[in-house]
Amino acid sequence: MSEMRTIKDMPVNDMFVSGHGACAGCGMAVAVKNIMRILGADTTVYVPASCLVVISAMYPTSNFRTPYLFTAFENTGAVTTGIRAAQRRRGLSSTVVGLAGDGGTFDIGLQALSGAAERNEDILYVCLDNEGYMNTGIQRSGATPFGAWTTTTPVGTKVEGKREFKKDIMAIIAAHDPPYAASLSIAHFNDFIKKVEKAKAKKGFRFLHVMTPCVPGWRSDPSMTVEIARMAVETGMWTLYEIEDGEARTTYKPQTMLPVTDYLKLQGRFRHMENGDVAKLQEWLCAKWYLHYGNDMEQPVCATFEKMKRVRHPHEEQLHFI
Amino acid sequence: MYEVRFHGRGGQGAVMAAQALAEAAVIEGRHAQAFPYFGAERRGAPVMAFARIDDRKISIKSQVYEPDLLVVLDESLLDIEPVARGLKKDGKAVINTRKLPTEIDLGVEVECATVPATSIAMEFLKAPIVNTAILGAVVRMCDLVSMESMQQAIANRFGEKFGETAAKANAAAAAAAHAQAAIGRCKGRRPLAQKKEWLPAWNEIPIGTTLDERIVDGVTVGPGGARQNLTGSWRVQTPRYDKEKCVRCQRCWFSCPEGCIKREEDEYVRWDLNYCKGCGICAQVCPVKAIDMIKGGSR
Repeated sequence: MSEMRTIKDMPVNDMFVSGHGACAGCGMAVAVKNIMRILGADTTVYVPASCLVVISAMYPTSNFRTPYLFTAFENTGAVTTGIRAAQRRRGLSSTVVGLAGDGGTFDIGLQALSGAAERNEDILYVCLDNEGYMNTGIQRSGATPFGAWTTTTPVGTKVEGKREFKKDIMAIIAAHDPPYAASLSIAHFNDFIKKVEKAKAKKGFRFLHVMTPCVPGWRSDPSMTVEIARMAVETGMWTLYEIEDGEARTTYKPQTMLPVTDYLKLQGRFRHMENGDVAKLQEWLCAKWYLHYGNDMEQPVCATFEKMKRVRHPHEEQLHFI
Repeated sequence: MYEVRFHGRGGQGAVMAAQALAEAAVIEGRHAQAFPYFGAERRGAPVMAFARIDDRKISIKSQVYEPDLLVVLDESLLDIEPVARGLKKDGKAVINTRKLPTEIDLGVEVECATVPATSIAMEFLKAPIVNTAILGAVVRMCDLVSMESMQQAIANRFGEKFGETAAKANAAAAAAAHAQAAIGRCKGRRPLAQKKEWLPAWNEIPIGTTLDERIVDGVTVGPGGARQNLTGSWRVQTPRYDKEKCVRCQRCWFSCPEGCIKREEDEYVRWDLNYCKGCGICAQVCPVKAIDMIKGGSR
């Protein structure tokens, strides 16, 4: 099979068919549909409790044209391990993919994920990150960014949105030294295709982290889903890189860093944020930016945080991508 | 006992409407309950909510299958859902539409009130959230609760969630709808389709495997069987494609969450509008503006 480089090289057969119950403009549906197109028919899908199981598996029908399994929330790593073990026993070798949400990856499923990564099981783990428990009605998760409104981080007089910063799941995965791990964006089409195809071809534990904007949870316009994903990369809220056999590589670097307000203003969940909080988030982003892209290029939006780029990350030696 | 069934789309506020109606009855010292129908569908999908009002304590907990009053928050639902199913012969209906009651074909000939709730909501609330406006018409249609207690209930419901200004605007919308509602008798020509449900029995599923794709009683089941859900009924805006401008980049094909954009042999695209939910992503990602969104869910 020839290598996929652009959208035009992608297979046209849909393995995730139309007729699912996702909201109009669902970013997760965009990601799942394209991942399934690339993985093809010879795939076994596991989905833990999440929006995806609700929208795509109304018994006795499903939207996946492949074998499909669903059990509990916390065991994506364990169940995909079991499916792969059963396949080995029966002499089969299809791609086993676990499509988990950020709750099922960052918080609830972390132990099973860590176990599977440490054993280097031959599975593909996809984290569809919509930055919260959107299926149950927008609660905070470890993936929710600083300042965001959720029903469990409400906006009041004393506390305004989430007070903690987003957990760096990719650094946790990188510490397990997997054969392949990558972060993807639905707005960078060719990058997306190349990474999914690379993950499909590799053996061992592979991890894909996809940002999937959520229309009701992020209080955004349905048509802006892809634009929000693009702005996340341009402002540094999302970084595109891959870790292949211990070597990190940035796959896309924006020319100049846009101010984070360009990203925040597209979403209602940040509407309450005041200058102090925005500056705090911007400062965190600048540190992240220099960490990922190096500090040889000075960014104008980070000029007020001059000291920032000299600060070394406390875990610098442990991170692969520096 | 007086039973009410609300039909709306996710995001229009059918649940809040049912709650406000129940609260108005409670303010008048009666017993009431209100609850939504929990489906797995999302924003824009057809949804239901129920309310019951009685002078005695209500012990029944089921959904409302034979309503005395039917409230339809979105006119387009009449074409895709058998909304009048189970409506009593002497029942009543309130419909959000610009048409007169005599122009509406509900499927059951009953007394009917129509109100242009969407334009009222746009005028008072600057958003197409029609639940309070339609409650004004509900009060006009049947003497279930008084307008004073309904406005009090709306102020309570919306004041606690959205603040005092929002509560006042919503109460004003209800008053305007109360004045503008038109009352008459609707037509009953439309046949009401019965929904088919099928679940396999334990012995119909092969041991150790999943259900294969097959057709049972005209219903597709198994992997890929969800294609029978024609989600195009959720659409409130429709993409229009200008083939002359198209540069065949396929970005819309990649970015469509529904997978309803199909690639042709010559790399141009076409839409399967049976599934298009009208999100507008294709128009947004198009680099040459060959796609624009036009209002309305029609083809």
